[in-house]
Amino acid sequence: MNVSREEILDIIYASLDEVNEQLGTEGRILKSEGTVLLSDSGKLDSLGFVNFVALLEEKCEGAFGATLSLTGDNAALDEKNPFETVGKLADFIRVLLTREQGE
Amino acid sequence: MNEAAIGTVPSRPYASSWIRTTPVSRETKSGLLVSDFNVQNLSAYLNKDDRAPRVAALAAPFGQVGQVLLDDGLPCWQSKPEFVVVWTRPESVLEGFRHLLAFAKVDTREILRQVDEYAAALLVAKDRTRTLFVPTWTVPAAHCGHGVLDLMPGIGVSRVLMQCNLRLLENLDGAMNVIPLQAATWIEAAGERCVNPRLWYMAKIPFGNEVFRAAARDIKAALQGVEGKSRKLIILDLDDTLWGGIVGELGWEGITLGGHDPEGEALVDFQRGLQALARSGVILAVVSKNEEAVALEAMAKHPEMVLRPEDFAAWRINWGDKAQNIIDLTKELNLGMNSAVFIDDSAVERSRIREALPEVVVPEWPSDKRLYPRALASLDCFDRLAITDEDRQRPEMYTSERRRSELRCQAGSLDEWLHTLEMKAEVEPLSKGNLARSTQLLNKTNQMNLSTRRLTERELMSWAGEEGHQLWTLRVSDKFGNYGLTGLVSVERDGSRSRIVDFVLSCRVMGRGIEETMLHLVVEWARSKGLSEVLAGYRSTPKNKPCYDFLARSGMQTMNDRDFAWNAAREYMAQSHIRLVRVDRETNLPG
Repeated sequence: MNVSREEILDIIYASLDEVNEQLGTEGRILKSEGTVLLSDSGKLDSLGFVNFVALLEEKCEGAFGATLSLTGDNAALDEKNPFETVGKLADFIRVLLTREQGE
Repeated sequence: MNEAAIGTVPSRPYASSWIRTTPVSRETKSGLLVSDFNVQNLSAYLNKDDRAPRVAALAAPFGQVGQVLLDDGLPCWQSKPEFVVVWTRPESVLEGFRHLLAFAKVDTREILRQVDEYAAALLVAKDRTRTLFVPTWTVPAAHCGHGVLDLMPGIGVSRVLMQCNLRLLENLDGAMNVIPLQAATWIEAAGERCVNPRLWYMAKIPFGNEVFRAAARDIKAALQGVEGKSRKLIILDLDDTLWGGIVGELGWEGITLGGHDPEGEALVDFQRGLQALARSGVILAVVSKNEEAVALEAMAKHPEMVLRPEDFAAWRINWGDKAQNIIDLTKELNLGMNSAVFIDDSAVERSRIREALPEVVVPEWPSDKRLYPRALASLDCFDRLAITDEDRQRPEMYTSERRRSELRCQAGSLDEWLHTLEMKAEVEPLSKGNLARSTQLLNKTNQMNLSTRRLTERELMSWAGEEGHQLWTLRVSDKFGNYGLTGLVSVERDGSRSRIVDFVLSCRVMGRGIEETMLHLVVEWARSKGLSEVLAGYRSTPKNKPCYDFLARSGMQTMNDRDFAWNAAREYMAQSHIRLVRVDRETNLPG
């Protein structure tokens, strides 16, 4: 299965929609590749992060049939903070999906 | 979680999350969520929902349910939450149930004893808040089911859980400010997304967010019910809403309703749903663009109509603007826009009403008629905490009111008309039997309301039981029917004077001499106690000017624009057209 980056972005945005349901207007996370997710200026707190990851993994499983562990031991991947921005996260998921297909 | 791989997670430790950092406004209800799991997602949904009442809910440290319930000195109680939700998992609070899940042999009586202990802790905590919500227990998500054993006595997990829930409810019965909530419906509503194992293992959140969303919706609806803010009027369109097709074109014989037709059957079910709501006290009305005679003929003659013209309190069937028709109709029924729900298949009409009358609830409505019954059932704005006799009789009362209006047109003066009504007012003290309705009246009445004091049943009962306090309720009837318990007046002794605290009258009987009768009662009481004056302090709200207008014309001395007084040396005459009956019902109040 060859998953495009756009498909992954759609999944990320759908997950952000659900996370945004719990946030006030001012705390909403924009759906764009440059949106900072997890860094000093990011808007996700610890609970928001957990919700986001759980939703994202669930949706990836539903859409791509792949069981990913986004916060698992991916030290082999050369990425310090794959959750820094939406764009970086999409790239990270794409690498994980490719790797899983290879296995 | 590999933090090296994901960077630094901004910290907001769950354990200290009950520390309130923002002030709670008067209109916002403060809440405390007590749970043995991470309940922060529920607090997020509650706090984010901008429908009234706004909520600021905080989660108590999770996993410390017993301590939180029993120790009122804990910091989480300092903010004096107006409502508390105590949501637990049975395997967490009932040790015996946990053993049962592991197929150990457990005496069901021992599990039920643990239920009693838990319920006792809830009853201790209930006095620290106005309303305590207790979601019932649900079968743990990880429970795979024991097949046919699941409902067997002594070993079946589902069976024992049913017994536990029933025992819990029985323990909580009679605790007036404790409201159990059926959590199983939230699980059902969430379907297969009711659980997300990732959330459990990452954050000790045992349910998927759909469950919390449904729970938040129910809790908000119940809070509205507590506040007496549930909706009481449904205004319906006719063509393609109450029946299928355009009656003006098809004639009543040609409309879709009932029969062997999926849409027709659904429309009958929809009408049955409306009928059930009417039986619970919701008033039905019609606003439709149609020829009145044609539409009424369909309502009266179509054999499968569940609702007949007499089931509707009022209607505006014409070609005028629906917003204006709704204004006229609610005026006729003496109801505010904030009582009304408007159901119409037309997106254009819905949009018009939303824009023109923002206080009216206008639900989105499915285009597929087969979905109408479900759409109606999903409306939570009618939720109330009790259904009183007055609620059940309300539709009939409105029919009687229409007949009274007809008589009024025939009678000459207002005084003549009042004398033809043969009115009776039964006066009785607060009692077990009328407490629910009295509280409902106190909390729902806006117009004829001196102080707009809002109290729970428990608070009202407690206030009425205090030394120097007196409260009367009035049941009003006339030759056309019974209005039910529609008046409430309370006074407190203030030295040598008496002060009216509540002066509440349903709009259904305003302007018929009951106001004067209530004042008569208060003055007679003051005279019997040898008190010198009766005082009334009017507290203005956007809606209670009718109360001011009455006081201003009542004959009481006006001290300023809010304080009124009656010299108790003088009688305040009873109304000659009202027969006053004092009823000594059982006055024991629930403990």
